[in-house]
Amino acid sequence: MRRLLLFLAMVTFSLVVWAEGLEYYKVYIPKEGMSADEIMRIKYHNKYSLFAQDYQQTGEVLYVDPSGFTRKRVWKRQRIIKAGQEGISYKDLVVMTYPTELKGLAVLTWTYQDPQKDQNVWLWIPSLKKVRKISASEDDDAFMGSDFTVEEVSTRRFEDESYKLIGSKNFSGYKFEHTGEVKFKDKPCFVVECTPLKPHWYYSKRIVWIDKDTGGNIFEEYYDKNGKLFKTLFREWVWTDLGDKKYPSQVSLECKDLRTNHRTVILMKDTRYDEGLSEYDFSVKALMRSRW
Amino acid sequence: MVRLWLGKMVFILCIASFIVGVFSSAFAIQVDDNIEIAGYLKTEVWVKTNNDNSHQFLSSFKNTFDLGTEYRIDDNWTFFVHGRYFYDAAYDIRNDAVFDRNQEKMGNTQRTEWLRDFYLDYTSDNLDVRIGKQQVVWGQADGLPFLDRVMPFDLSYYWLYDFADIRIPLWMIKVEYSPEVNSTLQFLLIPDFEASRSAPAYAPFSFSANNAWYNFKTNINPAWGGTAQETIYRPPKQFENFRVGLRWRSMLGNDIEYTLNWLYGYSTSAYTYTDSFVPILGSIGHYQVSRRHKLMHMVGFSFNKSFINPGPFEGWTLRGEFAYFHNEPTYYGTQGSRKLTERTDKYTYVLGFDKTFFTKWVFSLQFAQFIHDDKKIGNYQILNTYTYGLLDKVENYLTLKVSTDFMHERLKPEVLIIYNDDNDGRISFKTQYELRDNLWLTLGYHHFWGPAYGSNGQFRNNDHMHCSIKFTF
Repeated sequence: MRRLLLFLAMVTFSLVVWAEGLEYYKVYIPKEGMSADEIMRIKYHNKYSLFAQDYQQTGEVLYVDPSGFTRKRVWKRQRIIKAGQEGISYKDLVVMTYPTELKGLAVLTWTYQDPQKDQNVWLWIPSLKKVRKISASEDDDAFMGSDFTVEEVSTRRFEDESYKLIGSKNFSGYKFEHTGEVKFKDKPCFVVECTPLKPHWYYSKRIVWIDKDTGGNIFEEYYDKNGKLFKTLFREWVWTDLGDKKYPSQVSLECKDLRTNHRTVILMKDTRYDEGLSEYDFSVKALMRSRW
Repeated sequence: MVRLWLGKMVFILCIASFIVGVFSSAFAIQVDDNIEIAGYLKTEVWVKTNNDNSHQFLSSFKNTFDLGTEYRIDDNWTFFVHGRYFYDAAYDIRNDAVFDRNQEKMGNTQRTEWLRDFYLDYTSDNLDVRIGKQQVVWGQADGLPFLDRVMPFDLSYYWLYDFADIRIPLWMIKVEYSPEVNSTLQFLLIPDFEASRSAPAYAPFSFSANNAWYNFKTNINPAWGGTAQETIYRPPKQFENFRVGLRWRSMLGNDIEYTLNWLYGYSTSAYTYTDSFVPILGSIGHYQVSRRHKLMHMVGFSFNKSFINPGPFEGWTLRGEFAYFHNEPTYYGTQGSRKLTERTDKYTYVLGFDKTFFTKWVFSLQFAQFIHDDKKIGNYQILNTYTYGLLDKVENYLTLKVSTDFMHERLKPEVLIIYNDDNDGRISFKTQYELRDNLWLTLGYHHFWGPAYGSNGQFRNNDHMHCSIKFTF
């Protein structure tokens, strides 16, 4: 009984700690009058899908060099939100399905609620047919060789930056080079300036446009230590309608390195939420089921 | 004749596929939502760079066809089949007696090893069962098969290929029961038996012990009228000879993962025993030797932990494994000459340290020790299985692997250094370049050094450059 009470107290404590930010399994939308911190907390909540119980999607990454030559990667991702149980915020399983040379490569990641903690990462290596615990990638390393860094995709947290609200503006629109389409023209946004707390980081500041409708960061500008813009990052956020509820989802991203003119496009499809994924599917045993 | 025809077909397929691969856009085969097919055609060339006149220039011109198919029957049941066949055209191209003699054992896929996987999978939250031909891998070490002893190995190219490619798959039943999310009890029942294999004498990477035995056999008869007969005894395929294994995997807290392992059954390596020797003149006479597999136990454990909290070790991953071999046959003798084969106990452990430096340079350092219970029996010292060189009671190994990537992960170089305290080692450099999604180029180099009786030193005049082009689908 004492153990049960202790466990309940720990769970309650972890939820209360998180409640200083936002509660799991709830959707939040930024509102007029909110501070930059409040807006950014919502943005991170949405980015990591902490409003859902679980989600799955297929992602396609296109690496496009200045000549137009394109390489492709395809993955399947599953995520389960642990809401702070045992200190874990969420668990991710990403399995590469294309190209064949990388087929079967799978990464299991546990992300902790404590922002000071790195992720725990396991890798299924097809060439060895074994699971290897690996060191978490450096946050400023390229994510799968793309123009995104690891932290831009998966590890940056609210606590990593300080925030200043620049104001409310209508977004001028972004020409999505993958399709040529102009997206989000005149979209009402909050504009937030984010300054990294890490010294000598790969950017000195970034300007983030937060969509007032979904709370998603639809556009980011990255500046180097000389104040020069060197990278832009576009994310297309939409509402996914589940009937009785709707969730904000990212469906496409485009990151352009203005120094090299190389860009990376990520297209996400088949996004599904709350299908009752089992936590057993986010274990080392699940990684070992890989066949390729 | 059939084999030659098959080899030529694989070769033609490889060439044709590269042409198609260069000019076509990438594609993948997805028959429907439940069936996935993938594979590759690969041509690789191995060239010896420090010619000591014992070999010609070309060591291997291998063409490989690989095809895998996964069929998801329903949410719980999946069938997987994967085959691979190679044909080494170097054995046709070269006209020397050694290559002609070794063509049968080195020129193409041996026996039924073309079937790499053939199994039915049942998966559920608490129970996973895999029945069929498969590979099972234990341990945390990279490139050192201490705990990774469930499967036999094909060492025709020493330890130079990826482990998944040199393990010889076995028919078995694997059951994984999970009483809770992060804990699993694995049970293995292995009725199949295959012996680990090494290259025949004077093949590009044949062990010096093999060469010595071959020399002995071929020289003894004509010179003195002696004989040397070798008999190989494999374990009979009976229920009592099934190998069994158990592994418990769990976590301490949220970040220390460990396993406890036990394996019992016939060793996959065959050990040489001298059954009789009738002298005619000095050491010359009638020899009868046998190669036997012996029942043995292995118990061990492994662990890993990533340091994820802020502090001096943040970002490091520590991993290790320990294995104790009970009753494993061990050779004793003098330098270059086996005199006795005795069953002894051995201990091995590996500690590995991994960390990423300078944003994307992954360093992986390992320290390992191989400890023999009995260094000497009488006047005879423990011998290296590959070379019959003398071993110390404790053998120390250091390995370092450094890998990174450039050009948006298009170019991926890596270097592996293996060093033994007898100044025996190798450096293997490999870089992979992605020409297109479906076309990959690999270039590598193996440099060996050390004493003639060292595991790597035996190949000190056998440095090789290799390159391959792979078309995937």
